[in-house]
Amino acid sequence: MTHAATMLGVLTLLSAGPALIPASAMAAADDDVIIAEPNVIRVLPYETIPVGRIPDDVYLRSTNDPDDVIWERLPEYRVHVAPAPVVHESVGLRINYADEGQALYFTPARTSDRFYVRLRWRDDTHDTVTLRDRFRDGVAVQFSLGDDTTSYIMGSGPDEPVNIWYWRADTDAFENLAAGGARSLTMLDEQPVTGQSMYVEHTDDPNEWTVVMSRPLEPNGPHQVTFDRDGPVPVAFAVWQGSAAERDGLKDTSTGWIRLDLGAD
Amino acid sequence: MAVKRQISMVLDLNKCIGCHTCSSGCKLQWTNRNGREYMYWNNVETKPGTGYPRNFADMGGGFDADGKLKIGKEPGAEDYGIPWDYNYEEALMAGADPWLRPHVKPTWGANWDEDQGEGEYPNTYYFYLPRLCNHCENPACLAACSRNAIYKRQEDGIVLVDQKRCRGYRYCVSACPYKKVYFNEQTNTAEKCIFCYPRVEKGLPTVCASQCSGRIRFIGYRDDEAGPVHTLVDKYKVALPLYPDRGTKPNVFYVPPLSPPKIGADGKPTGEDRIPLAYLEKLFGPGVSEALGTLVAERRKKAEGGASELMDTLIGYRRDDMFKVG
Repeated sequence: MTHAATMLGVLTLLSAGPALIPASAMAAADDDVIIAEPNVIRVLPYETIPVGRIPDDVYLRSTNDPDDVIWERLPEYRVHVAPAPVVHESVGLRINYADEGQALYFTPARTSDRFYVRLRWRDDTHDTVTLRDRFRDGVAVQFSLGDDTTSYIMGSGPDEPVNIWYWRADTDAFENLAAGGARSLTMLDEQPVTGQSMYVEHTDDPNEWTVVMSRPLEPNGPHQVTFDRDGPVPVAFAVWQGSAAERDGLKDTSTGWIRLDLGAD
Repeated sequence: MAVKRQISMVLDLNKCIGCHTCSSGCKLQWTNRNGREYMYWNNVETKPGTGYPRNFADMGGGFDADGKLKIGKEPGAEDYGIPWDYNYEEALMAGADPWLRPHVKPTWGANWDEDQGEGEYPNTYYFYLPRLCNHCENPACLAACSRNAIYKRQEDGIVLVDQKRCRGYRYCVSACPYKKVYFNEQTNTAEKCIFCYPRVEKGLPTVCASQCSGRIRFIGYRDDEAGPVHTLVDKYKVALPLYPDRGTKPNVFYVPPLSPPKIGADGKPTGEDRIPLAYLEKLFGPGVSEALGTLVAERRKKAEGGASELMDTLIGYRRDDMFKVG
């Protein structure tokens, strides 16, 4: 885990962003932007967005460096995440309905052989331990193995599962998981997802986590997302706030799927 | 939750001498390593007292009158007590340190208030309460688990945590009104008393019961009419569950403690029980008075040379009669 690190990467201009409305131009009720961010594109459920392309001649000093300059050259998106629908009594007992959610910034990217996603969100507390009465921060990216008719809430049963990449702040580990409906989350045998995290404590702005996770485009086992497909790849997100004792279904999630267009190889 | 058979335990609090041999046996067998050091799957606490973890009975959990899960608290390290050890090697062997000292400052522990009790001399009182997982008929831990990682075995009703399914959410820890599920910070999973199921499967009693020097523990299946549990719980109704108001229907039962009489200002016994009945009823429910009455009557019968199946069972003349496991 890098803490407030700044590293210089390679500067290469990449493909332009999609023709979506910039966040600054939107004024919806759930608009949770707290600072000006003219270069961030707001994305709504079921929109299709292109995945940024990192040209093969760009040298990444470290595969998952969250602070690489490359990320400033790729279009960044913003999605609203809010308390997930309750699917278990234990969650229902604890859910905070006053929580209006927050903004999650993400940048999907690919090379010719690897898929990346960079995630960034405000978090005032650096929760990096799991103790008897303390909980860790976390973030997850969920992919539908099918199309966007699969439930974005952990999949639609064993026949329509989802692949989940989960980062946990305590061990700074990345887990490759699958689920076929609530209660079924399972660690997969193959663990090809790698990543890196960075927590930045700003003096004036809110503190934030930045996490990059990536995986070879080619899956190496069952229940892993396939990027080589005809249609877009449905993706969803979740954020856990450790200081609020969030774990399991106590989390902020995006609603519905966002469709990623990986473009041609 | 219906199971085919339910193995159960009865503990006669009139026989418990608070020697902690049960806890020691359990600890050596299961919890002296790998993140379990702080755990006492079996502990013996002094009542009245705070218990282990500290004030566990006030931490919520269990079910309300409508059968809905009640939220509880996850105890912190201080509530359990942070285990400490001494520098035996440096102080006693190498002579490198003139003092024998703990490696962390002890501020609380599982028996910090041992033998403290309540009341004013000469009417002070306390008794010991050994506790383990109750392997409840309606386990709150199981109901609280959002992953189906906790299950109750059909063949004997033992409640277990599937270590492969558990992802350490700790809903079970807070849901258990007895705080008998523990979070292992090394493995990030919940762990608890397993009723020594590998021993039970071989027809052996649990370690805590087997080692008990006071011979206070009885094990048997509830439906075994020839067994001690059926005799004590169902036939004579002298063994009662702890905190029955929490709605989990425990399968560990206690024979409540009889009291010596209070001593009056004139130094003579008043005939009033030293342990307040209201306190015992808070612990063991409304059946206490009847249970104590039965115990007194049967004890008198036995003392007068009569036959008493109940007293013979509680005395436990033969080990084989105390443990009907096979």
